[in-house]
Amino acid sequence: MEANEQLTTAKQLLDPHLPKKIRIKTLTKSTVISRSTLIILALLSVYAFFSFDYKQLDIGEVVLSTFANLKAMFLEPHLKHFSFTHALYQVFVTLGLAFLTTLFGAVIAVFLGLLAAENLTNKRVSSVVKGSVAFIRAVPTVLWVLIFAVAAGLGSVAAVIGMTFHSVSYLVKAYSESFEELDKGVIEALQASGANWWQIIFQAVIPSSLTYMISWTFLRFEINFAVAIAMGAAAGAGGIGFDMFMASSFYLDIREIGAITYFILAIAILLELVAIRLKKKLKVNG
Amino acid sequence: MTALLEVNHVSKQFGSDMKALSDVNFSVQEGEFVSIIGPSGAGKSTLLRCINRMIGASSGEIIFDNMNVMNLKKKDLKLIRTKIGMIFQHYNLVNRLSVIENTLHGNLGKKSTLAGVLGLYSQEEKEQAVNILHVLGLEEHIYKRADQLSGGQKQRVGIARALIQNPRMLLCDEPIASLDPNSAKIIMDHLRNISRTMGITVLINLHQVDVALKYSDKIIGINHGQVVYNGSPKNITKEDIQRIYGSEAEDLIFDVGGIHAS
Ligand SMILES: Nc1ncnc2c1ncn2[C@@H]1O[C@H](COP(=O)(O)OP(=O)(O)O)[C@@H](O)[C@H]1O
Ligand SMILES: [Mg+2]
Repeated sequence: MEANEQLTTAKQLLDPHLPKKIRIKTLTKSTVISRSTLIILALLSVYAFFSFDYKQLDIGEVVLSTFANLKAMFLEPHLKHFSFTHALYQVFVTLGLAFLTTLFGAVIAVFLGLLAAENLTNKRVSSVVKGSVAFIRAVPTVLWVLIFAVAAGLGSVAAVIGMTFHSVSYLVKAYSESFEELDKGVIEALQASGANWWQIIFQAVIPSSLTYMISWTFLRFEINFAVAIAMGAAAGAGGIGFDMFMASSFYLDIREIGAITYFILAIAILLELVAIRLKKKLKVNG
Repeated sequence: MTALLEVNHVSKQFGSDMKALSDVNFSVQEGEFVSIIGPSGAGKSTLLRCINRMIGASSGEIIFDNMNVMNLKKKDLKLIRTKIGMIFQHYNLVNRLSVIENTLHGNLGKKSTLAGVLGLYSQEEKEQAVNILHVLGLEEHIYKRADQLSGGQKQRVGIARALIQNPRMLLCDEPIASLDPNSAKIIMDHLRNISRTMGITVLINLHQVDVALKYSDKIIGINHGQVVYNGSPKNITKEDIQRIYGSEAEDLIFDVGGIHAS
């Protein structure tokens, strides 16, 4: 009986009447839609390039002079209007802005994140917090800074408040999602032994999410560093971004822009290296 | 002997039509080892959780240690919960914390909020934790992280966390359902040992009829939220098993004679 069954399956495997071509992707509604979207987008971009109004621009000349500018910027960088120590100091100002806003954001986000986690509060509170945070996140950081600048005036105060605001919304999402990962059985076990909400938060929820929280926070710090540079230029928040703004629109010195860019690049690489080491360490302990 | 736990006419309804428990009655004496058996979905977990009010029963009364669990204030409920330890199928430990930290979690209910939040434990509490871990054969793993342990070891940490409460009763929800036979036997032996030497009452949900018959002083059989057997494991018959498990009984390769013999 069993041997018979095996024989028939073996026969089926050798059956020559299988369809010749075996598809592994079938045409469903969603694949059709996504493919046609891609094709339409590709056609539109090709059309756009032909329909640009190039006026009297000679493409070749434009490309060449852009390359000349880039060459001056990156191959012949110098510092003329600022000293090296000044630039270094300004980089630290920018880092400080990024650090401060990340720190404020993280502290506030831990508490809002607890409220936003469905397993720690209830569905209602959670969706209210998640909803408002999603709204804040949808508006870009720069816009928040400009909005707060109406009240506080353009400058570092508006930058700190605006950047903190957006950091909170970003980190609340990240934190609450990692809080929600916690098995509800663990919470149940501590509740059953009489532990209260705060004890459960600090003895189970946060220890379980700590590594996630640290990597998300560091990622936000890197984002805030980039934003802080832009804020220096756009909102007069000071720091290296402001120097870059001065070099480009006031002194019109592209070589200085090159030097400052190298500075920022060096710091960004440094941050990346720290992040990698941090992650390795967290993986070992986490 | 007086009854430590009395469950009178307890019913539980989820939503408008899902009746998980209907008119459940039984009592448990101090120091008794009582198993609740029944097919999955019978209401075993719900019944266990009604006792420490992790789930509120819809009607009836539950008397534990002369207090009616059903209408306790928040503070008294917390006090009752510190007297009842609970053990779970999936251990429910905090994976990233050490064995001793997980054990000490059993004391959170007795601490102030701040001491609990900061994880401040007295020397006495720590010594007790080490002693309990020693009894359970975990002395070599005290500083290991919980997720580095095997299933059987994790369950022993779960027992340690319940024992440090100095409980009057242990509620165990299928504590051996995820374990291999050897680890399961170790856990069951520990639970029997705890019950006998410390006089702690044990109320345990089990899937395995043979294990229940072997270890228990009393068996409560549940089917569809109703108690269909309540008595000694010695007198249980094939018909009783069939009544508890319904049509599923056919699938249980079951031989009452063989079980009573072993
Ligand atoms: N939170 C809940 N909401 C609705 N129904 C539930 C809930 N918990 C359990 N039930 C239902 O109650 C019945 C008993 O469940 P349970 O006590 O978990 O059974 P057992 O532990 O015996 O397998 C099941 O039919 C289950 O679907
Ligand atoms: Mg169950």
